[in-house]
Amino acid sequence: MLEVRGADLPGLFSSCVLALFSLLTDRRTVRGAEFRTAEAAGGTAEEQLFFLLREALQIFTVHRFVARTARVTIHKERVTLTVAGEPLDFSRHDVRREIKAVTAHAIAVERSPGGCLARFVVDV
Amino acid sequence: MRFRDVEIRKLSETMWEIPQESGMRVPGLIFASEAMMGDIVRDEAVRQVMNVAHLPGILKYSIGMPDIHWGYGFPIGGVAAMDAEEGVVSPGGVGYDINCGVRLLRSDLTVDALRPKLKELVAALHREVPSGVGSTGFVRLAAADEEKVLVDGARWAASRGYASAEDIERTESGGRLPGADPDAVSAVAKKRGRNQLGTLGSGNHFLEIDEVAEVFDEEAARAFGIFPGQAAVLVHSGSRGLGYQVCDDYLVTMADYMRRNAIDLPDRQLACAHIRSPEGQRYLSALAAAGNYAFANRQMLAHQTQETFLRFLGMGPRDLGMRLVYDCGHNNAKFEVHEIHGAKRKVLVHRKGATRCFPAGNREIPEAYRHVGQPVLIPGDMGTSSFVLAGSPAAMSLSFGSTCHGAGRRMSRTQAKASVRGKSIVQEMEKRGVLVASASQKTLAEEIPEAYKDVSEVVGVVHDAGIARRVARLRPVAVVKG
Repeated sequence: MLEVRGADLPGLFSSCVLALFSLLTDRRTVRGAEFRTAEAAGGTAEEQLFFLLREALQIFTVHRFVARTARVTIHKERVTLTVAGEPLDFSRHDVRREIKAVTAHAIAVERSPGGCLARFVVDV
Repeated sequence: MRFRDVEIRKLSETMWEIPQESGMRVPGLIFASEAMMGDIVRDEAVRQVMNVAHLPGILKYSIGMPDIHWGYGFPIGGVAAMDAEEGVVSPGGVGYDINCGVRLLRSDLTVDALRPKLKELVAALHREVPSGVGSTGFVRLAAADEEKVLVDGARWAASRGYASAEDIERTESGGRLPGADPDAVSAVAKKRGRNQLGTLGSGNHFLEIDEVAEVFDEEAARAFGIFPGQAAVLVHSGSRGLGYQVCDDYLVTMADYMRRNAIDLPDRQLACAHIRSPEGQRYLSALAAAGNYAFANRQMLAHQTQETFLRFLGMGPRDLGMRLVYDCGHNNAKFEVHEIHGAKRKVLVHRKGATRCFPAGNREIPEAYRHVGQPVLIPGDMGTSSFVLAGSPAAMSLSFGSTCHGAGRRMSRTQAKASVRGKSIVQEMEKRGVLVASASQKTLAEEIPEAYKDVSEVVGVVHDAGIARRVARLRPVAVVKG
């Protein structure tokens, strides 16, 4: 289970995306030369996070793109993700593990005056 | 035996019943020894067996095999049969790696004859058989070819010269699940799968050279072409990214279905739809397609393995004598007819980390094996043993013709990695007489033998319960991991 903290919801979601990419590769080896965007929507913060992370995983599994940084904006139910990174290059990027999917199991987003916390589980 | 406030009733030395509590439509049934049960109740898997019992249309029992451990929604090592008319289908009851399974190749060689060249042979297999994260297969599939793979499974491989008629006959369901519809598989899933056909993957997937260490059932071993000292190969892989994505896609579809149809279940990863609903039917079509991809994938892996043996050893196919014993899946949902409370009923049997194990005489079994029962392949951990079993009659009355699928994890991957910090797994395994080749030290650390239950004990339970019987024990001598 991954536990991620952020100052606010967009910051939290950005950190969750980066946590996901950190499981996949060493982000320090990734150049932020190109951009990819994805959109997700959900009625609750948990749904927004779940669908956002599914989209983020597809950036890697389908588009073979690794991210160095991530930025999330939220407008009502809609979440927009922009990642900076580059196409996967096995000669420079050490792919750490295969992630089958982001699961909905025990996914949680908690908000408090001190910041936000998310928990999620990926199937490896 | 207690699980929290639930008293679990001992039915026999190998069977335990979880009473039907509020919301459960049937009781739970776990196959385990008393010692194993002591460990099982410490895990959340018992709760998951109880949760599965809430699913609409479930019949007789929600079942746990002795290799049961916590999974997403359903436990791994879980079996649930749903009424084909009134019941539901649940992607979580199959798992992400649809039709993940095992195939066993036998040879005419002994391990003693192979031993002087074993190190180089393992290196060649590691080089030639694509494994590890991001690996791509040796066949590039055009979109139209991929659709044919989804419809025809291992038969597609046969049409391209990568499989023989005997390979097809000796693969569960003839290597082709009926009802597959490529249109039910999303474009994303197809894209994830396109370059992965003929790849092992990573994690617990492997290719292993084994020695037949012990034969328990001479007649069945003879039928399967197995003899003591023999070199054999086990391949464990599944439907790769395509299958993962199909599961992921339909979990979302079914969560939506449940909301619309007010189906309330204790865990959202049990998301399901009625079998007869358009959503249920579409998932079953996608499930068959992904299952066919898995059959084709293992067939391509076997082809590449055999080619590597031939090239490396400089032998002809006749001298090598490498032939498929059997290929069986352990993550699936299949329509079958079973006798329930004295009446025959068509049911959809979900097996997640469980293997079909039909007894002698069943027409689903290849003719050459029909007198001894369906071969069942149970990989253990990479350091101890794997087993070949055969289906037994009691499986039909007790477990919907199902048995265990492996040793079952005892430690999480994180725990396993922490326990080996600073040790060389390759050297440790060599001391045990097992050569290991892997692209990832991390994967090896996660897969140490101590991370798994004792497979001999797991197999002992299903043998004693009468749902499968021991045929042979295999000892790993070389392992290729992704």
